[in-house]
Amino acid sequence: MEDSPIGPRAGGLYRRQNFVTALGFGIVLGFIGWLVSHQLLQGSNWGSDMVVTVTMVAWVVGFNIGMGTFNAPIRWALGHDPSHEDELYAAGVGQGSSRYWKFCTDHKVVGTQYLVLVMVLFGVGGTLAMMIRTQLITPHSSFLDPQTYNAIVTIHGMCMIIATIIMVSGPFTNFVVPIMIGAKDMAFPRLNAMSFWVVVSAVPCLLSTFFLGGVNAGWTTYAPLSVQAPPAMDAFAITIITFVVSVTVAGINTIVTVITMRAKGMTMGRLPIFVWGSVIGGALGLYAMPAFLMAMTGMITDRVTGTSFFVPQVGGSAWLWENVFWIMGHPEVYVILLPPVAALLEVASTFSRKPVFGYKVLVAGMVAIASLSIMVWAHHMFTTGWAPDLAGPFMLTTELISIPTGIIFLCVIGTIWKGSIWTRLPMYFVYLFLWNFIIGGVTGIYLSDVPADQFFHGDMFVTAHFHYTLLGGAMIGATAALCYWFPKVTARMLNERIGKVAFWMIAIGIQITYFGQFWEGFQGMPRRVAYYDPIFLRANQMSTAGAYLLMLGWIVLLYAMIHSIRHGKRAPANPWYSKTLEWHVPTPVPMENFLVDPVVTSDPYTYGEPEPEEPSRPEPELVPVGTSEQSGTGGDV
Amino acid sequence: MSFESQADDIEHDVFSGEPFFSRPGGKIFIIWLILTAVGVLIGFYAPHHLLPSLDASTGTDVFRTIVFFTVLAAPVAGFVYAVAAYSLIAWRHTGDQDEPPPDGPAVRGNGPMTVLWLVVSTLLVIVLLVWGLAVWSAQQVTHPNTLQVNVTGQQWFWTFSYPGTNIETRSLVLPLNRPVEFNVTSVDVTHGFWPVNMGNQVDANPGEVTVLRTTPNRMGHFEVRCSQLCGLYHSFMYASGSVVTPSQFSRWLRSQGASATSANQIARVSTS
Repeated sequence: MEDSPIGPRAGGLYRRQNFVTALGFGIVLGFIGWLVSHQLLQGSNWGSDMVVTVTMVAWVVGFNIGMGTFNAPIRWALGHDPSHEDELYAAGVGQGSSRYWKFCTDHKVVGTQYLVLVMVLFGVGGTLAMMIRTQLITPHSSFLDPQTYNAIVTIHGMCMIIATIIMVSGPFTNFVVPIMIGAKDMAFPRLNAMSFWVVVSAVPCLLSTFFLGGVNAGWTTYAPLSVQAPPAMDAFAITIITFVVSVTVAGINTIVTVITMRAKGMTMGRLPIFVWGSVIGGALGLYAMPAFLMAMTGMITDRVTGTSFFVPQVGGSAWLWENVFWIMGHPEVYVILLPPVAALLEVASTFSRKPVFGYKVLVAGMVAIASLSIMVWAHHMFTTGWAPDLAGPFMLTTELISIPTGIIFLCVIGTIWKGSIWTRLPMYFVYLFLWNFIIGGVTGIYLSDVPADQFFHGDMFVTAHFHYTLLGGAMIGATAALCYWFPKVTARMLNERIGKVAFWMIAIGIQITYFGQFWEGFQGMPRRVAYYDPIFLRANQMSTAGAYLLMLGWIVLLYAMIHSIRHGKRAPANPWYSKTLEWHVPTPVPMENFLVDPVVTSDPYTYGEPEPEEPSRPEPELVPVGTSEQSGTGGDV
Repeated sequence: MSFESQADDIEHDVFSGEPFFSRPGGKIFIIWLILTAVGVLIGFYAPHHLLPSLDASTGTDVFRTIVFFTVLAAPVAGFVYAVAAYSLIAWRHTGDQDEPPPDGPAVRGNGPMTVLWLVVSTLLVIVLLVWGLAVWSAQQVTHPNTLQVNVTGQQWFWTFSYPGTNIETRSLVLPLNRPVEFNVTSVDVTHGFWPVNMGNQVDANPGEVTVLRTTPNRMGHFEVRCSQLCGLYHSFMYASGSVVTPSQFSRWLRSQGASATSANQIARVSTS
């Protein structure tokens, strides 16, 4: 910390707050919440559901007080504006790596924090998946008892849903999008830090469910089973509500940033496609997530205060839960999918040395996917008996969505077409995406067809289908993004030799695991069963073998990352010779990204086009994006 | 150079004097044909070998739909795979991997190709939709002479009863080639009534009666499983059933305690 630009008292309370104080405040407030509710409710019939709810809310609030989430609003309310030095402190100036444990407003720090959190969540969710697959090696395994098994199935699902929603919009949208559009930070840096620490505070709530009886209803938590579930369900609902706050805040932040913070010359038509993917995904999240919050709030009041939104025996409706849940649940898969797909197109363009094919069609396609996806939710309910007359219309909207999804395929293969394919590691994942997502898409059309869905619903075929799309499609897109932006985020090159070993293990592991599950599904094995008929034995063993290989592949990839961070070659500013702005700032990226405000004169896909002539520029200091001598913005290799 | 003129260049390239099969388009066409043929073969072979025996009209619908959709999807998937495979064979940069290859052509789009792609995918969607709606609406027809069966799910077993008798049973018996309507409900949480070999299902919702229609068209044994996670012993919530001739059905009804008259009446067998 060579002569710090800020005084020793700058930052105020932030100086004393970090992850440890947050844990301390959270635990203390949670304990107080538990004590008070426990004492007050002794002998009442409200019982442990109320206690768990109050404790979890107190933990979340306490954690965020301890972290400093509420510092600035409270100071403003008291009439004290934070000084410029306070802001610099909050952005992490002069704090070295300890800023990663603090309420840090620098978008690059937040992005990196998200990346670590996402990997932790994938670690937890993946371990639970391995426990499920281990249980299913034999038809009547005694590895897990059915209650634990159901709890694990639920938390595997929700852990992965949370992780995949934030896997690209957390790390890469935060780290890359502001730089891509030529901004110094996000529009609301404090909300950005808040969105991260709020989701951190939700994770212990999710894991606490294992110690509160376990949620036995699957991640869809269909009522009325979930209304009768152990108190773990209250912690589960608080997790979701907290998570929705985080996603909403992050989505608004992304949208406002892109609308208001673009550099001079960065018109909407020049935005890199990843920016579009992040904005459309974020906007769709704003539509989808409130329904989840509403559903879970109703769930808590049903369980704690005796309302009956979802309990048919006392005037509620199970179908109401299913509707509200899937009004969130189907747009949500596109919230997961769109950012990674957009990142994948950046990768395809860079490594084919060609412009993104059909830029406008692609943006229109993503908007069409987002619009249609809010009208397809009841295809999850074809077999529930709800509104049979609507089966036809929902079959129509569901099948229509394959037209804009087809555009994504067209644009990926159009980008590759006649390109100079540079097969570095990120490009491998583009091909794996094409392979997997076709399989996920084709199996999706069986499920969109009502008569065929009547066979496949609730069956392992569905499980295999959505793992092919969400793991084989979205998560592979996110992995391409990880390998692509790794040098920019960590300032080290990713070891591609180890990375390619991981790639092949992951690629083959996915095929074995989920072809095994397609086989189970064709044979008629229901989802979420702890025990099964021996006729499904071979298919299950195949799936489990593939799952171990897949998990091992991810571990090898993690090893490649850690190895590269510790021993890897230092990354040049632009190792891929890419043309988007984030590659034209120095690595590591300095505070506020740009030493000189960039001025943009073209979109970043000028591959194969002649360099613009130097003298034609009106002002000498304005340099077009995409040339390699951006004076002042740092070295380019 | 404008984008249009570059696109023209590409088209010129495609339609140059070289023989068709030595041009990229021709080679991709061959790969596409092979992959499509493989896909079509999978479509005919895999469902036949993977699906359980399907013993009802709705099961036949499922089987045909899977075969038809796979055959329809094969050329689309085959095309994407063919381009991807060819790009790795022909356009891969084989030199020094530390340096980027020279830029590819500055093609930013191709209007006719995009329109063609949209038209083909729209036509495919229309075919899918017409097929699905035709099959679905045919399944919704209520036939006269339909056998009514009441199905009740509860944690964690199924109970079947036949209106007009006092029979309550844990295993389902159905007469051959007779349309049947299951009136499905639950007494506790949501279950999924899934007679697997009939190829269809409907949820058992507490407080609601949902209807499932099918016509068993093959004699033999079938499985009923629960397709909605319903708590602790969801895995063990299954039942079995069989499809029998009408006279066997009538005899079975009597063996369960139905009077001879009502058994014959329900089984629609003449008393003679």
